[in-house]
Amino acid sequence: MEQTNQNNATIPSYWASVGIAAVIFSLLTSVLQLISGYMQINAEPTGSLFSPNMLFSVVVCLVGAFGGMVAVWHYANEYQITMKLGKGALIGFLTGAAMVLIGIVLNKLWLLVDPDMQQKMMESTIENFEAMDMPEETKQQMIDQAASQANPSIVTQLLYGIPIFGILNLLTGMLGVSLFARNKEE
Amino acid sequence: MWANLNQKKLYGLVLSMSALLVVIALGGGFFNQPGLWFDHWQHKAFNGLCHQDPQRSFWINGSPMAVCSRCFGIYSALFSGWLAFPLIPNLLQSLNGYKRWLLTVVLCINIIDVIGNFLGLWQNTLFSRFALGTLVGVSAVFVIGYEFIGINQINLKGIQYGTDKSK
Repeated sequence: MEQTNQNNATIPSYWASVGIAAVIFSLLTSVLQLISGYMQINAEPTGSLFSPNMLFSVVVCLVGAFGGMVAVWHYANEYQITMKLGKGALIGFLTGAAMVLIGIVLNKLWLLVDPDMQQKMMESTIENFEAMDMPEETKQQMIDQAASQANPSIVTQLLYGIPIFGILNLLTGMLGVSLFARNKEE
Repeated sequence: MWANLNQKKLYGLVLSMSALLVVIALGGGFFNQPGLWFDHWQHKAFNGLCHQDPQRSFWINGSPMAVCSRCFGIYSALFSGWLAFPLIPNLLQSLNGYKRWLLTVVLCINIIDVIGNFLGLWQNTLFSRFALGTLVGVSAVFVIGYEFIGINQINLKGIQYGTDKSK
């Protein structure tokens, strides 16, 4: 009992692990998205919604979901502790939310480096739509809708990003507890 | 036989969240939403997490789902597996020693499938990607689910938050 109280009194903060995992995965996904974006900008319009160059983005698929697992792994490994599933879920959710925030900041920072990137992306998308074999009216509707969502507001990005990234990282946070934050003799 | 779940609140939370993921992943077509699919909020929600290639997604009512078939396999298997695992506690307990291997092997199979398809070694299909995705979801349930059915046993061993691993 005394031992447990003593341990509870010195519970280390998990924020460093959350921050580290969020920064790493935000950087990773942002860089992968930038590479994918520039591949799209520099590619010839194919008239397909999914050009061969964009196959690269398949690799990005679900990468962002593993931040929670890495945060839990870091926390458990750094302090040599075990934890309950609920704590892992919380760490995962916070990591997902932090990833969204950092990702938005990184995107804004990149616009200082290349202010024309979004414009070039939009032009590339429109050229691709124009090369499509479909009625002119549908084509124009697609171009209008693509243009209207070219620059989503920060609130919109937070509104969509935090719940989805939060839930997925919550799940991988629990996975991390099960894989890395249990005693080895179990 | 139903397992005696000790962390019922967390179980319920994960169940409802995984159900929510599946419903959102179905996309706007499932709800007959107006407008073009890439303007549906479900697509925007999963943007950045999935490539959302319409050619690699299932379609409902003229719109692709908000995620690719592989991701939909993961989410749907996660939900259905989460719903079902309390019915099979013995299977989860028997697989416990292999859970890391199980997840690693399944992830490796998916990575090999993506690379092989990318290099043109073979052509995967909507359903093969969905099937491989479900393997990831199911193995994730096997890994986490054990913690819910075996929690009494774990607590008896004195494993609690803040306990030193070396002891």
